[in-house]
Amino acid sequence: MMYQIRQMWLALRGNFTAALATLTTMTLTLALLGAVSLLTLNLERTLSGLEKEVEVSAFLLESANDATLLKTVQALPQVASARIVTKGKALEQLGQDLPGILEPGSLEENPLPDSLRLTLKNPRDVQVVAAQLKALVGVESVEYGEGYVDQALSTLESVRFLGYGLVLLLLLNSLFNILSTVRVGMFARRVEIEVMRLLGARRGFIRAPYVLEGIVLGLLSSLITAALLYPAYFALTGQLRTLLPSLPLLEDRRVVLELLVGLVGLGVLVGGLGSWFAANRYLRELE
Amino acid sequence: MIQLRHVTLEYPGAAQAALDDINLHILKGEFVYLIGHSGAGKSSLMNLILKRETPSRGEVYLSGESLRKYRGGRVALHRRRIGMVFQDNLLLQNLSVFDNVAFALRVIGVPQREWAARVLSVLAQVGLESRQSALPRQLSLGEQQRVALARAVVSDPPLLLLDEPTGNLDPDTSGEIIRLVQSTNLRGTTVVFATHAREVVEQFRHRTLTLRRGKLVRDDPFGGYAL
Repeated sequence: MMYQIRQMWLALRGNFTAALATLTTMTLTLALLGAVSLLTLNLERTLSGLEKEVEVSAFLLESANDATLLKTVQALPQVASARIVTKGKALEQLGQDLPGILEPGSLEENPLPDSLRLTLKNPRDVQVVAAQLKALVGVESVEYGEGYVDQALSTLESVRFLGYGLVLLLLLNSLFNILSTVRVGMFARRVEIEVMRLLGARRGFIRAPYVLEGIVLGLLSSLITAALLYPAYFALTGQLRTLLPSLPLLEDRRVVLELLVGLVGLGVLVGGLGSWFAANRYLRELE
Repeated sequence: MIQLRHVTLEYPGAAQAALDDINLHILKGEFVYLIGHSGAGKSSLMNLILKRETPSRGEVYLSGESLRKYRGGRVALHRRRIGMVFQDNLLLQNLSVFDNVAFALRVIGVPQREWAARVLSVLAQVGLESRQSALPRQLSLGEQQRVALARAVVSDPPLLLLDEPTGNLDPDTSGEIIRLVQSTNLRGTTVVFATHAREVVEQFRHRTLTLRRGKLVRDDPFGGYAL
């Protein structure tokens, strides 16, 4: 093993420019990957916050039996919670929401109906539940902010999808960087590799220093990335918290650390796998 | 030991086959010269035995086993049975004489505690025990070729292939190399020696195979140089 480590060190030193280029590109890629992951995590929080706020309102006819309807609705599998808001309670709430415009006692008659307010286990079921509610006897109309909710959900879904797409592309970029570095390194030492092959060295023996080189490059670049990203992220969230206090930012240090540990693992994996593939392919071409 | 049956080797795009319907049998413990002009097919034949090439037609056997289906790790094991010396010796320039020879033991997984005894013993045989710390560039061409020979035999292979090992050497140094190879052969190693050095073939007579434009045109059990 000491021999393989020494050979790995010689490969890194002998191929220093290419190794440095890979280290730089991989660090930038992992930094972008980390930033996109943090952005995606923050979007997830915004999205799940928005999803939790999705509420379906079913406005009831005067003749409706509120208690029976409540039981029926609570039995629906998609429903997380349901409650009755009486017309009096609704007017009171409206008065609180529009102070100065709707004074208590200013109306001769309460024009608002009783309503059922529902939250759903999965907000994507909103249209199905709305249709079921409309079909119930005693329900006059149903509202769930159609248009706004659907559009917000689909926009955030697209952003999330794009984020993951970008992450995938960046990972592939890192992999190709490692592939070319290892290939250049092996080409530079082709005589030694040829001697090894003629002396009867197995592929694993020839490959080992290059796989170690990939792992070391992956480890170094991901550690640099983590060391840069961690303070930069919390400096940025500190600023944003001051400017936009209502933004649901991810500020749990443990979650961020876990993400960065994952990034280090990914760096090592990409480095190791990339160099393994490159070395194997080079050796196969020689056979 | 080595058997070729109707072996033809064609390279893509080449007008003529590198080897054309070769049949030969080399017995265990034999010393055989392979002679012919440049391009006659000597190196191609060596490459077939080393499994660097696969015949387009026919079969190559080593110790009764066809090499055709050998892949990956099996090729590596096959090559461990063969010591190889080239004209340009292929020594690793950043390693000392000792380390170059020990390298052959390292790559095949011989425990490190055995290296010193085996390397020093084989360096003594080629007369380079005192130069074990020197780098290849500090040696003469003849000494470098002796190191290459030491590296080829340190793992005690049953077969030794030499491809123009005296090509860059003066007659005296060539004679030294041949004598070392002969002493290896006397210990039971089969030797296949490709050369176009007439004086070597004439002076140290052994069975001689002559190749011309890829064909085996002469197989002389008593030796002698005739192209």
